[in-house]
This record gives sequence, structure tokens and C-alpha cells, in this order.
Amino acid sequence: MNPANGHAGKVTLQGRELPFAAGETILDVAKRAGVDIPTLCHDPRLEPAGACRTCLVEVDGWRRMPPACATKAADGMVITSESPKVERHRQTLLSLYLTDHPTDREASEKGAPDQLLDMAEQFAAPTDWGRMPLQRSGRPTDTNPYIHFDEDTCILCARCTRYCDEVEGVQAITLANRGIQTTISTVDALGLLDTTCELCGGCIDVCPTGAMGEKKPLVRKDKPERELTKVRSTCNFCGVGCQLDLNVDPDAREGHGRVVKVTSPAPGSTTNDGNLCVKGRFAYDFVHHEDRLTTPLVRDANGDLQEATWDEALAAAASGLQGVVDRHGNDGLGFVSSSRCTMEENFLVQKLSRQVFRTNNVHQCAAT
Amino acid sequence: MFGAGAMTNSIGEIRDADFLFVIGSNTSEAHPIIAMEMKRAVRDGATMVVADPRKIWMTSIANRHLQIAPGSDVWLLNAMAHVIIEEGLTDQAFIDAHTEDFDQVIEAVKAYTPEAAEEVTGVSAEDIRWTARKYATTEKAGIYYTLGITEHTHGTDNVYALANLVLMTGHLGKPSSGMNPLRGQNNVQGANDSGATPIFYPGYQRVDDPVAQAKFEEAWGCELSPDPGMNLNVMMKAVGKSIKGLFVMGEDIVLSEPNVSRLEEAMNDLEFVVLQDAFVNETFRYANVVFPASVFAEKEGVFTNSERRVQRVRKAVDPPGQAREDWQILIQLANAAGANWTYASSAEVYDELASLAPQYAGISHARLDREAATAAARGAKTGLQWPCRTDTDEGAVYLHQGGVMRGKGLFQPVAYRPPVEPTDEQYGLVLSTGRTLYHYNCATQTRRESGSHIKQPEAFVEIHPADARTRGISDQDQVRVFTRRGEIQVRAIVSRQVRRGSIWIPLHFGEARANLLTTDEGDPITQTASYKVCAADVAKLDSATADNVFPGCHYAVDGPGGHHG
Repeated sequence: MNPANGHAGKVTLQGRELPFAAGETILDVAKRAGVDIPTLCHDPRLEPAGACRTCLVEVDGWRRMPPACATKAADGMVITSESPKVERHRQTLLSLYLTDHPTDREASEKGAPDQLLDMAEQFAAPTDWGRMPLQRSGRPTDTNPYIHFDEDTCILCARCTRYCDEVEGVQAITLANRGIQTTISTVDALGLLDTTCELCGGCIDVCPTGAMGEKKPLVRKDKPERELTKVRSTCNFCGVGCQLDLNVDPDAREGHGRVVKVTSPAPGSTTNDGNLCVKGRFAYDFVHHEDRLTTPLVRDANGDLQEATWDEALAAAASGLQGVVDRHGNDGLGFVSSSRCTMEENFLVQKLSRQVFRTNNVHQCAAT
Repeated sequence: MFGAGAMTNSIGEIRDADFLFVIGSNTSEAHPIIAMEMKRAVRDGATMVVADPRKIWMTSIANRHLQIAPGSDVWLLNAMAHVIIEEGLTDQAFIDAHTEDFDQVIEAVKAYTPEAAEEVTGVSAEDIRWTARKYATTEKAGIYYTLGITEHTHGTDNVYALANLVLMTGHLGKPSSGMNPLRGQNNVQGANDSGATPIFYPGYQRVDDPVAQAKFEEAWGCELSPDPGMNLNVMMKAVGKSIKGLFVMGEDIVLSEPNVSRLEEAMNDLEFVVLQDAFVNETFRYANVVFPASVFAEKEGVFTNSERRVQRVRKAVDPPGQAREDWQILIQLANAAGANWTYASSAEVYDELASLAPQYAGISHARLDREAATAAARGAKTGLQWPCRTDTDEGAVYLHQGGVMRGKGLFQPVAYRPPVEPTDEQYGLVLSTGRTLYHYNCATQTRRESGSHIKQPEAFVEIHPADARTRGISDQDQVRVFTRRGEIQVRAIVSRQVRRGSIWIPLHFGEARANLLTTDEGDPITQTASYKVCAADVAKLDSATADNVFPGCHYAVDGPGGHHG
């Protein structure tokens, strides 16, 4: 929201006077001003839940500390987000979370970075308060191919279940059971394939601790996400143009690199707002599939396709196409380009057709 | 119509819309991320009407579902126009200022009363009236459509009929209010923009315009043909006749093109075929030379999405074996054929494109990279939307702001034309084809993916219980689906998802190619084939045949687990 449209008043945050627009929360104002307030259960795509209490701040005249994510800014509010009281609260809270969460990074962080451990480090929260026995149940029999739920590292922030409900709109997963046994589950603890789940993987994307993880890299025992190189690119499936991060293990394939998972950029600065679908997030195995073509092929006198060198294949192709022109004229050739390929490649195909082979018979499967 | 073939709004505007008219778009399966934006709009109180012959997922959150008979779109849309005109809901100021020939539409839709439309479309007159009123009277009202509108013999008529609604209500040139074709492939928009079309050079400059021809002749230092070329559908029909040689990059024409059995025969009459692809496909058996190419993760370049947004594709890994990036192969092929192309990078190729297509001139790889790095901090979105003519041009979020791009929006009266292939005694059902969530097009990529395979391992036909009963078909039976052109064997899904009298088949499966069935009768203007309507029928297979139901499957499809580990 742009404060220039619908200016609703001013708050004072850490001594700075800041304008806000109607409907903005304390967290919205802080974000825009570059003031860092830690959050775990917050996601800009979701309705504020105020569940994790990591973002509590002090407001002058308020007896209790309100959550910045769920408290609307009001004119004249004086807010303190860094103080000994706030710091003490954060440390205690994080330490309490860690009595129900592994504190050993090796053990807890198998895939995505564990933001709870990061935060405990950042705020120097004690990690030695002991560990309660785990009472959350998982779904070990869930045979879906992509989404793994690790009950051990879940902190019940419910970002996953709220995303499933509010953004993807399928309500496949939900908070189940009560008290210390509360867990993330499905109707009758069914496997995700037997629910309304469409395998978009949004639950993995929003999870702050990696409790919702991607199965394929876990099963392959790929390197944790921290050690991978992220390459921002554009999805190659439909016409939405989602931005995604190809997570590459640069050492794999003898240094040629391997795409081991796909993650989505943070919400806000992309057309897809950080969302991906089942194809964009999970359908990347084709990149390194054994069926990929690896050598040029030329059909021999017996009618069989044989492996050839690039020089042979290029010469054969050029003379073959030229032969058609010689016998039937330039318009005896047709060029089929591809809407799956890049702008540059389409440009080159039409230039090849028009400049080199002198025909306008060039098109692609653009029927819309 | 208005002057540009693209979404007039941006994807980010969908969430702010107050009325969404979704027609011929199975959005949650074909464009799941756009569907998320629509779901968000509906959650925030927007009204949504879905017009589709099937009970697609989006109908479960829509205020109304107009379960239209396949191919009767013109009736529905003209009847909506009829209501809007009859009830005086038009935006006369917009019509006067920005359009031409409204009178002709008034005349043309007179006979299209909602009551008469109900007879043909199966949609109640009340639903038509309600939708028309709601559309006309909501300020932020957007139309979203896909191939359910265009893949007909009257596809152009459908688009005109939609555009007439947009123009008469002035729903154009404003945020969240416009006409939005959702593009099927990642770079459909970009492929057209960059000139891979028979009538346009890059940037929609006509090949038969002497000024454009002179411009490109000078740029490329050669004479160019002033004769418009063949579009894909015409080209495929000319294969083996006037077309004797083909170069095909990244498309499996034998799987994708309609009425393929005729095409396959004609392919044998070709003298030379060059393929450039990353995988073996069905067209391979006709190839003389095959170049091993790259997938998107292995190359540099840009894609242009449905909302005209140009975004970077970046090389993350090397291609396997001797495979090369496609743009490099094309340069090498051109040079082997006597050209002297010297591009050292994909960025240099882009620069030439931008120098020739003014709407792209303000965009470069360097600018995209530079601005992407700061997008989050600036609160901006990654990528730039054309038209973007200079280095400082921020690009156009929505088109036709302050008036229609071509000067005046042209009303195009359209009349209903019945399907070219009506049902009859032998072929009693209307066949439509389409996409599913879990696969993509020819599925060369998704059928190599364990999850897609588990969710949807094989081809199927959806058939209404009443139609199944009269044919003695039960759910999960193996059946054959046949048309005048061919037949395939698939599993029957007996479901009220489809209308009575209609069947539906996904297009993704090589062993049960939907395009053995489809007709290649095209739209008279675009030649886009009628993938959505042809006459067909279904019969149960006897069990002996059914055991070997997929004899043609030669994809290495892994079961659950497989070597994906």
C-alpha cells in the first residue's frame, strides 16, 4: 500500500515519525521503513494470524505487548520494537520453542534453512532448556511423491495450513488434534494423494523451519539448500511467467551442475507473488533425464539415424535444406519455431527463414 | 479490434477486480497461478461467472456456472450484448469517443434474445441476463479467456463477440478492467512478438508493407520476400505438396497438430526434415538430421509472458553431452548455409531484435538484470512490460490507457455459425480436448516426472453417466473413442463433470493421441483448428482387446519410485 494514497496518520517507531495508510499494520509500516521485526508465522499473502508471538512490540500506554503483524497502526501510536523488554521476551519465546524442536542444525536442517535456529542464534536465545517428548504425529505412510512432513521440526505456526486454505484454496491440510498433540494433518490422516491436495508445494515454500520439505532431494540426500547456488529464471511451462529459483549443486555432473530443486522467490516482487504450481515447483526431473539427446544424428543411406559430429550434422542440414530450395524454390521450405523457446531463438529462426532461405513460411504453435 | 494481441491488464490487477467473467479457460489447471489470483479476488468479495461446458474446479467457487453447449459461445455472448443494449447499460461516452460501427452490432444482436439463446446454449435466459447486467454495471470487470474461445472454426467470431462486450461497456484502458487472453505456452507472446509468424517481421511489422520490407532488407543486407508465408495450419496441410522440406525447433508436430493421421502420411513425402529438440519425439521418424538442443535451465535469453512482461531466462547448468544452446545451433546452421552471423551471446541477438522492434527498444538483458536486483527494494515487479521504448520507459502495466491503441476500437458484428461437424447417428457426441494440471502439452517433460505420473498415469475420456449408460459403459472401463479421422483407446471416467452429449479428452498422451480424432478444419481467418468441437462416439472394448490397451506406448515411463529415487 502506498502511503501517498489514503494517508491515514502517523506513528512513531523507534523514534522515527512514519506515515501509514488506512488498514496497514505495525509490521507493514516497519517493513517499509526498513525496521526489522522478526516473524515466523507471518506471510504477506495470508491474513495475519498473530500466532507465533515473535513480532511482539511495545506500544506506549498499552499494558500488553501486541503482535506487530496483526495490530493495525493508529494515529499517534508510539511503538518500540527494540528494547530490553522486547529482547527478553524474544529470547524466552525462542527458547521455549526450542524445548520442542531440535537444536542441532545437522539434525534439523535437512533441506531448507531453519529460520527458528537462525533467529535463536541472532537473538542469543538459550538453547539448553532441555527437550520435551515429541507428541505430534506424522504421516509416515503418506506415499505422495513430493511433500514430506517432519513432525519433529514443526512449530505449528500454521502458515502451511493457512496457505492451503487462503491461497491455493483446496484445504487439504489442517491443524489436527489438541494440546501438545496438535499436528499438521489431513482428514483421517490420509495421504495427500487421497485428499484435495493439488501438490502445489506452497506448504513447503511458506514453512519457516523446513518441517514441510521436498521429498525428492531428501530421498536423494542432496546437499542442504544453504550449500546450493540459486539461479533466478522464468518457468518454462505456461504463459504466466512465474519467477523461480533453480537450486543448483554446482559440483554435480563433474562440475556441469545439477538442478536439485526449485524454490520460489519471496512474495512481493514477482508476477507469481512467490507462488508456484505442481509443474513449476516439482517437474524439473526432465532437465537431467536419461532420455535427453546428447549427440547430433544424421540419417544414413540405409535410412537409420546415426550419431554424427556437429560439423557433419550442420553441413548435412544446410545442404539438405538448400537442396529443397534448388528443386522447389524458397517457398518449398517451412520453418516451425517454438513458443517454448526464447525470444532470441524465435528471432533467429525467423531470420534464418527470411534472410538465409528467403521464405516467410515461418510460424509456431501460437494459436491463441 | 483494439490493436494489440495481448492481455490488456496485468496479472497483478486480477486480485483487485470486482467481476470476473471466465470463459473457455480451465484456469486452475492450465494457469494455476492466475487461478490463485482469481481465488484471492473471490475471497475478497468479487463476483465470478464461469462459462464452460465442464464443471471445472473454478465453478466450485464461482457465483454462477454457465454450462454452455460446446461451440455455442457466439449465441451466449451476442445474447449478453442484446441484454446490455436493451437495458441501456452501455457506456455511451466511451462508445462515442473511442469506437466505430456500434450500429452494426446493435443490428446484429437484435435477434439474439436470451430466451432464444437458452435453446442453443443450454444456459438459462435468467443466467444470461444476470451475467450481462453484472458485467455491464461493475466498474472493475475483466474478461479472461483461453483456447476454449479460440480453438473453434468460429474462434475469431468468439473473440470479436467478447471484444464487442468490452467496447460497449467501456471496460478497457483501466486497472482490473479489460480483455485478457491467457497464453498457453511460456513464450507464445514472445514468439509472436519476435516475428516467428508468416505475416509479420519482429514487432508486428507486415512483410507485405514495402516500408517494413525496406527496413529489414537494409538491416539484414539482402532482398526479402514480400509474399506472406503460410501459417502453421496451412503449412501442415501443404506438407508433402508445396512444402517439401521442414525445419522444426522444439515442437512435436506429429503429436500436436490436428488430424495427425493425414499429416503422418504426408510427412513421408517430405524430402528433407531437420529437427532441433531436447528429447526424442514422435516426429523423429521423419527426420534427416537431428540437433540435440537445450532446455530452459541450460540457456540465456528472455521469455515474454501473457501480460507482455519480458523476463530473463538464465543458464543454471550445462547441457548434457554434446547438446548445445538453441541460439548457438541456429547461428551455426545459418553460417553453414552461407550466412555470416557473428552474435557472441544471446544478449547480442536480443539487441538486434530490440533495434528492429520499437516496442522492445527500451529493454535489454543488462537492464533486466540490473532492475531485477533492486525490484524488491523498489516495491516493483521483476521484468518489464512492452511497450517499453526507451531506457527510462517503465513499460505499460495495462494497455489502451486514455483511448484505444489503434485509434478507434472497431465493433465487429458476428453471427452464429453452427459447428462444421454436427453430431449424427454414427457420431453422437461432441468431443472437446484440453489440458490438465499435472501434464503439459506433449508431456515430454511431465511424463518423465513421478508426481504427474502418479496423479495421471494414462489417457482418459470423461463421459456423462446418461451417455455412458446407453452405451453400456461403466466407470474405469476401457473404451475406444472414434471420429471420422481415427480412433484411440482410453479409460472411461463416468462423471457429471461433462455435459450430457459431450465428452472430453486430455491432449497429453502419446499412446492415445487426441489429435488422431480432432478435425483440422480451421477458423477462416486464423486457421486455428477446432480442437474443441468435433463429432465423436465411444464404445466399450471387449476384455480381450482391453488387456493390451496401450500397444503404442514407447515412452520410458517410470512407475512410482522409479529411478527418480
